[in-house]
Amino acid sequence: MSQTKPETSSRVDQILDLLLDALLERQKAREEGGFQPEEAPTEPTAAEPSAPPEPELLLEEAEVESPPPDEPLPPPAPVPAGQMGRTLFRLAVGLLLFVVVVNVPINRHGVSLARVMPDSAALIIRDGLLVKGENSDKVYVLQDDKLRWISSLEAFERFHYRWRDVHVVEDSFLDRFEKGRAVHVLLKCDGSPHIYRIEREQKRWIKDIPTFEAEGHVWEDVQFVSCQYLRNLPDGPPIPEDAGPPPQP
Amino acid sequence: MSEAIERLPRPKLQKPFFLSEVSSTVNVLAIIETIFHNLREFFTEIREGIRLPEKMRAMLVSSIVFLMLYGAVMGSTHSLWQALSSAVKLPVLFLATLIVCSPTLYFFNVLFGSNQSLTQNFCLILTAITVTAVLLLSFAPIVLFFLLTTSHYQFFKLLNVVVFAITGSIGVAFLSAGMRIVSAGGKEGAAARRNVVRFWIVIYAFVGSQMAWTLRPFIGAPSMGFELFRQLGGNFYANIFASIGEILGFVTVM
Repeated sequence: MSQTKPETSSRVDQILDLLLDALLERQKAREEGGFQPEEAPTEPTAAEPSAPPEPELLLEEAEVESPPPDEPLPPPAPVPAGQMGRTLFRLAVGLLLFVVVVNVPINRHGVSLARVMPDSAALIIRDGLLVKGENSDKVYVLQDDKLRWISSLEAFERFHYRWRDVHVVEDSFLDRFEKGRAVHVLLKCDGSPHIYRIEREQKRWIKDIPTFEAEGHVWEDVQFVSCQYLRNLPDGPPIPEDAGPPPQP
Repeated sequence: MSEAIERLPRPKLQKPFFLSEVSSTVNVLAIIETIFHNLREFFTEIREGIRLPEKMRAMLVSSIVFLMLYGAVMGSTHSLWQALSSAVKLPVLFLATLIVCSPTLYFFNVLFGSNQSLTQNFCLILTAITVTAVLLLSFAPIVLFFLLTTSHYQFFKLLNVVVFAITGSIGVAFLSAGMRIVSAGGKEGAAARRNVVRFWIVIYAFVGSQMAWTLRPFIGAPSMGFELFRQLGGNFYANIFASIGEILGFVTVM
């Protein structure tokens, strides 16, 4: 044991000395600018064509050793074939899936994700939505999931609705909702005790207070106008219809 | 023993159906990749008349698929029916414009000394449409994003007009480059042919916009029900100005 130790240490020293000498030689050669690798790459022969270098390796070499300014720049590394095609294919498939997903109805009204967002929606289902059937003149307002018919132009204007907010929808869309109480305008003039309900631009006389209350009206809905204005409106059938001829205000 | 096995004739394996489908898809996409990466080579092949039917088939298939997808995205703003309708109408718009406009380009080119065939011209215009379709597909996620997040109808309409203008311009730039390469052989009337291409691009834009107006709606007005075609009346440019006016708060487009 005691004899082998100095032998091994001397060998290690010899190896280290050799390595150090080699390093010093290389450093000297680099400083002189004439460093050449010991094993120069062999030239490819016609019999054994060498494989073309990988694009990534080319890039690394380009980064390490920049070419001299007078030499033309090396051509850019080729893009791996099929990469763009694969990307396009994936994009198309992803897009197709997304289009299907955004068109799937997500709420009980059958509205899909693409049309449920505010402002982008073809129709936003919410209270106050004004709709009109394709084949009907009746305009409805949606309140508490019920469609309420706006019975006259007078009512439409008095509740400050705007025509540009009225959405024309398929009649089947209207059938999805329960019908609520109609939106009426009740008119009265100072010189007369009678109350009239305006429907389709006609005034309908409400016979008495029990009928008024039975129809679901409240006193707050009654608006005052001039008697002349009321007289100018054509008469419609009274409420109830068997109430007899309507009196003039 | 193993050498003997190696020498045995190997049975010819037939590609399963789904693999042949996949390989045809790969071919289609490979041609698109060639257009984007090796444009000069692609146009040189068109000039030499190499594999024109194959190229045209691949471009036609890819354009139709990509335009259908973009059309579906546009129509999704309104309804499922509108999405399906736009998916069909958008490829029709481009292909109909191609059919209407390609004879003009061909005969004017011939008049000014070109020796290209109608098929080569058709192939060049199809290249422009394919480039436009690929770029439209690349814009589709952005359009979808606006569809889901903000989008006022008029804004969405103008967004699409801008997208079409950008992608269409790049498409015709490819066509213009292709024309120069394909007709590089014939020196006579080269300048005149360049002017012909410029003139034709203007015509192509006008025909395309009028075709789009005829085939509308592609997005679908939110206040109106689904309709396959809308009544004729007005024109594309007046409507775009009106949309800009509404966005800026000057007018209301009904």
